[in-house]
Amino acid sequence: MRSALQQRLRSELRTSLVLLVLVAAVPILVRNDYWLGVLIVSMYFALLAGGWNLLAGYTGQFSLAPATFAMLGAYGTGLLAYHWHVSPWLTIPAGILVAMVVGMVLAGIVMRLRGPYLALTTLSFAEIMRIVIGNSYGFTRGDLGLSIPTLMNDRLAWYYVFLAAVVAMQFGLYALLRSRVGLYLMAIRDDEIGAASRGVNTVFWKTASFTLSSALSGLAGVLYAYFSSLVSPELGLLLQTGLVICMVFIGGIASLAGPVIGAFLVYLTSESLRAVGGVQLIVFALLVILIARFFRDGLWGLARRILERPAR
Amino acid sequence: MKVLEARGVTKSFGGLKAVDGVSFGVDYGELVGLIGPNGSGKTTLINILSGHLAADAGEILVDGKPMRGLTPLRASRGGIQRMFQLTRVFRRMPALDNLVTAGCALGMALDAAQARARELIEELQLARVATLDAGHLSGGQQKLLEFGCCFMAQPKIALLDEPFAAVHPTMKEIMAGFIRRRHAAGQTFLIVSHDMPVIVELAARTICMNAGEVLADGETRKVLVNPQVIEAYLGGEAA
Ligand SMILES: Nc1ncnc2c1ncn2[C@@H]1O[C@H](COP(=O)(O)OP(=O)(O)OP(=O)(O)O)[C@@H](O)[C@H]1O
Ligand SMILES: [Mg+2]
Repeated sequence: MRSALQQRLRSELRTSLVLLVLVAAVPILVRNDYWLGVLIVSMYFALLAGGWNLLAGYTGQFSLAPATFAMLGAYGTGLLAYHWHVSPWLTIPAGILVAMVVGMVLAGIVMRLRGPYLALTTLSFAEIMRIVIGNSYGFTRGDLGLSIPTLMNDRLAWYYVFLAAVVAMQFGLYALLRSRVGLYLMAIRDDEIGAASRGVNTVFWKTASFTLSSALSGLAGVLYAYFSSLVSPELGLLLQTGLVICMVFIGGIASLAGPVIGAFLVYLTSESLRAVGGVQLIVFALLVILIARFFRDGLWGLARRILERPAR
Repeated sequence: MKVLEARGVTKSFGGLKAVDGVSFGVDYGELVGLIGPNGSGKTTLINILSGHLAADAGEILVDGKPMRGLTPLRASRGGIQRMFQLTRVFRRMPALDNLVTAGCALGMALDAAQARARELIEELQLARVATLDAGHLSGGQQKLLEFGCCFMAQPKIALLDEPFAAVHPTMKEIMAGFIRRRHAAGQTFLIVSHDMPVIVELAARTICMNAGEVLADGETRKVLVNPQVIEAYLGGEAA
């Protein structure tokens, strides 16, 4: 018998899969390289948003460094490819590993911090990483970035690689969250002291959540590095993290479907508004404020409330 | 044999001695009441026994073994389950899953924990709200839920801090009935309460604290007529 929580996760997984099936069908109608590129970047953000939601939405740890781990993953891959021409079979796992290990170390540093202290510490960490990478000209070529050979020139192929990654992430998160691990993470989110008192190893599971979330960011960064064949510190800009957070809140934090919905919605809107200039962020900031005020569960929560309204 | 023992336990906050040289033990199968005026150190003592606070001096023994650096996690896994005076539930998780979490965290398989949680939620008459997020339960229902979390696995001892406070008589009876049944089956309890009739009914032995010290420890009926205990209570209320 399925619990209420498991049923909830199942319907969220189903919704996000429906959306991803639609995304899979888009190339039948749209062959424009520009819009395929926009959707690829949306999926890049969906990976970041999904990873950050695991950490912030399900574990209650408001890190301000998701983009930083994408940058670290990209550099882990990029440096090996650029300096030593290492095969992608090695650089891809290496990039993810770099993000994971740094994520684990960061988890150790912020283990006892909560709320604004955690946010500020991860923020400083994010800026330090970006500045260090930007200033190590000899090794990283600084703001110029590293250009690395791409793996495929076919944009459509990349489209489906990113899509496969997002689908795999959704299934992975679903399996994780519906298991006992999901319960531990949510218990830590809701009451850390209470969780420890019930026997949850909070140190271990917080570290695990940080590590896994960083790995997802790292994966996104690695894929993006090969897709764009350029690795630059811009990947780690705070603005990127800001976008990820907007996506998760607008789509619906602490749900499986929300971050994916939010990533497509926010990035597509942002591209459509590009002609108007710098108003995108103002629009998103306002949306986040409205959502935080009126629909705490984001668009997914709103949709669920409408769907679940008892029929009269 | 003693499940839990405190020897000379002391804890100060700044200049205030909240717990001052407290020694006592609880035998397996006992149900001990812990009473005392507001601020007498009951919660602080429970916090030390459950690893939430470190004592400044003295030691805690579990099954006769001294516990150094007791943490909430180690206490919980070692079979010391507690309930908080200010309720702690996992608010954004369905009520039933609160129980499942407690079971899994203590080593039960997910299926087994779910089955056990369903039994327990029936017994506590919370089945009607099982799928609601715990934060949406009423204050009394949340207390009952947290109470249930202590009994997912068989604890060595349950430390209950004011389980009956602000709870409707009907629910109080559900909880008291549960305690009576478990106690009859051998479960050990230490129960903090200001509710004298319940203490008299449930606890054969009562400890009374005042200003951080143990004022009296013995048979409940005798403790409650102890002049010092009466003085502490009336004095506390007069002040
Ligand atoms: N964390 C703390 N910091 C400072 N003082 C504290 C702290 N915890 C408790 N105290 C003080 O220690 C004393 C004992 O408090 P405690 O909570 O143990 O009392 P209690 O017997 O549980 O009272 P009540 O019946 O009101 O729950 C009080 O004077 C309280 O102010
Ligand atoms: Mg108290």
